[in-house]
Amino acid sequence: MRYLRLIGHFVRASFQQEIAYRANFFISLLHSLLNLGSGVLGLAVLFGQVETVRGWDFAASLALLGVYLTVGALRGLFIGPSLDALAGLDGEVWSGRFDFTLLRPVDVQFLASLRHWRPLALIDLALGLGVLGLAIGRLGQSLTLARLAAFIVALGAGVTVLYAILLAFTGLFFWSPGFLFTWLFDGIFQMARYPVGLYPGWLRLVLTWVVPVGVITTVPAQALSGDLTLGMLGGSIVLALALLAGATALFHTGIRRYASASS
Amino acid sequence: MAEPQIVVRHLSKTYRVPEREAGLVASLKSLARRSYRDVEAVRDISFTVERGEVVGFIGPNGAGKTTTLKMLAGLLYPTAGEARVAGFVPWKRQADYLQRISMVLGNKSQMLWDIPPLDTFHVLGEIYGVTPAALERTLDELIELLEMRELLAKPVRNLSLGERMKCELVAGLLHRPQVLFLDEPTLGLDVSMQGRLRRFLAEYNRRHGVTAILTSHYMADVVALCPRVILIHHGQLLYDGELNGLARRLAPFKLIRLTLRNGQTKTDWRLPPGVDVVECQNGQMTLRVPRAEAPSVTAHLLNALPVADLAVEDPPIEAVIDQIYQEGNL
Amino acid sequence: MNLRGGWALIKSMWLSWMQHRGFFFLLAFGWMVPPLIYLLVWSTAAGGGTVGGFTRGQFVAYYLVLILVNQLTYSQTNWTVGDVIRIGDLNPWLLRPLSPLYHALASEVAGKVVYMAFVVPVSAVLALVLRPELHVTPRDGLAFVPALALAWGLRFFWGYWLALLAFWATRADALLAVQDALVFLLAGQVAPVALLPGAMRGLATALPFRYMLGFPVEVLTGQLGAAELLSGFAWQVGWLALAVTLSALVWRLGLRRYAAVGG
Repeated sequence: MRYLRLIGHFVRASFQQEIAYRANFFISLLHSLLNLGSGVLGLAVLFGQVETVRGWDFAASLALLGVYLTVGALRGLFIGPSLDALAGLDGEVWSGRFDFTLLRPVDVQFLASLRHWRPLALIDLALGLGVLGLAIGRLGQSLTLARLAAFIVALGAGVTVLYAILLAFTGLFFWSPGFLFTWLFDGIFQMARYPVGLYPGWLRLVLTWVVPVGVITTVPAQALSGDLTLGMLGGSIVLALALLAGATALFHTGIRRYASASS
Repeated sequence: MAEPQIVVRHLSKTYRVPEREAGLVASLKSLARRSYRDVEAVRDISFTVERGEVVGFIGPNGAGKTTTLKMLAGLLYPTAGEARVAGFVPWKRQADYLQRISMVLGNKSQMLWDIPPLDTFHVLGEIYGVTPAALERTLDELIELLEMRELLAKPVRNLSLGERMKCELVAGLLHRPQVLFLDEPTLGLDVSMQGRLRRFLAEYNRRHGVTAILTSHYMADVVALCPRVILIHHGQLLYDGELNGLARRLAPFKLIRLTLRNGQTKTDWRLPPGVDVVECQNGQMTLRVPRAEAPSVTAHLLNALPVADLAVEDPPIEAVIDQIYQEGNL
Repeated sequence: MNLRGGWALIKSMWLSWMQHRGFFFLLAFGWMVPPLIYLLVWSTAAGGGTVGGFTRGQFVAYYLVLILVNQLTYSQTNWTVGDVIRIGDLNPWLLRPLSPLYHALASEVAGKVVYMAFVVPVSAVLALVLRPELHVTPRDGLAFVPALALAWGLRFFWGYWLALLAFWATRADALLAVQDALVFLLAGQVAPVALLPGAMRGLATALPFRYMLGFPVEVLTGQLGAAELLSGFAWQVGWLALAVTLSALVWRLGLRRYAAVGG
């Protein structure tokens, strides 16, 4: 309960920091619109030349883009800013301010994951959901309750996988401070803009089992278009939970290392 | 008798530092095989601190002061030994323990950069579970003592270093910790601000009896605040006791400042063994004399020379400490 | 022309960049990913046949060349010059007998060498795996060199004058974001310019972005007839002239403002 109240305070403090610069709002809006626009136009150009690619048509791909933007927005809302504050370019671990985080009488993982918020990411969230809505309309099929439920569960699993991967990368930062893992992840995550099925076999394996970004976007999109089997949904949930457990363990081991190795 | 607030026994900390030489060949080699060096940062340190005491840790850079402090704050795991602070084992990092301590780091800031300090204080208040009423009272007192009311509305990035340090102290004290660890709090501040912060810490300790360990390079900090000092050098505890005692033990000599009539300076004298001329400036000469011989040398000088003025002094603490750092032993 | 100073600057920058080569390789990786994604998407779309006249192998060739050209022409002036002006560190540069242009150029050369150390081997491996289809005629091969050089010049000076706007505006985000989006859409990244829908293709031909990136790639991969080659060069030279003029002009105006406002 107390932790929930703390989150409220963190959101408020982050909001105050954000509006300290008024220009932030307009620039964020511009970035979000450009991101959206170039994504949709990119798809439009592709599907201007072909009807389907390996079974994915414009509407289905648009749905995937919507999921990508939505997940990206959730990442930008709190997961990204909080973990970046630790392991990013001028992060706490690099500068030594992580000591202060360790001194707080609050669980370190909680602080690391929920401390910093970027309310402006709500713009991205709105746009992502908008694209999803557009895609659902184009898919032409009725959105049954079952499919919606499957979509929400798949999205939850996807976001959990995203969080777990980023947490794991943050944990790795304790062994290799200075290596910008999140930039590495960004590169790989970009591949999730397109259905994993479009990539050659070996890459598809990597994107499903090594760095499972495929699970983050492709599975929820398939839930919407009705191509999701119960087995796949179950598999993605199991994967999400397993990754979460592994990442948490890695993160805590990393903290022990920090406490043993730094001066 | 109450248990001491801080008990440290045989605390040690050794780390492995990867070794890498410069050059392309060496860096390629290091890809294949890493070589390590063991650094003993803290070696078998033991001491106790009673409730309400303010202890100064002094020692050269890299002596192990900050490492010891961080172990007591629970930030580092020791390699050997044990410690109890306020009844807790620090590195277990229990919430109840973290609630009772605080650390202020001179060269690192915990303030949020773009917003006024008050906002950071409120967030910290929430994190430490301080009720709004209690927070209000504590902040009022601290802000009053530090004379910083006008700073509260300015974003932290617009504050000067001294003003930011005041904020750091408030941030560190707003949850009324029982134990305070201060690592170089006056680093980089101008002389008047240093004085102000010293007065604040002395007053705060007088009012609230907080137990504190302070590390500092500025002897004035230690002289002003710490009746007791612990000298750490090469990871070992070399001295634990009163500051004056340190001077007496380490520097068993006195300084004689001598001014001759007509402003002459003597350069050709035969001095007894153990007596040296340390300084000769503006007609004033400074001699270093073993403590026991001071009276006889003084008498001899008064007899033999046209003395205009003569004073016998204790060596300044800084000089004593410098000597230890240079000679590296007691 | 201070050749000794320039050369010394390049050497020192190269040494310091090589120290952090892990960081720069990571950056290079990040920049490689978007064209790689489009390579995979388009080549999958082409499958066994063609899309818009391109076979799978031709898409692969186009994008691999694009990756190399992109890395060679990518402009960093926003960091090297823009940030310096923003932070206010310009004074040391003004005091030395080298105009900031030298600094920017030195970074370019040093940076390119480091990045190419990563990109060239990786592209070679990708070529082995993905099997591009590339037949270079002598005419195209010869035309490629000036096209590439002019593209580099254009991208550099275009970036330079935009970076100099830092004398007036403290934030370049908005401008950069728009620029990036335009480069993405119109320079041949999202699709070869020939495959863009009518309106976009017209824009792409008129605006400078294609001449920074796509044009040399099109030359080398043999997409252009003689007339198109010539008109392309004309556009390229025209835009380059404009960019150089703007750079000189904005520099003079900016310096005046800098001296007036105080450094």
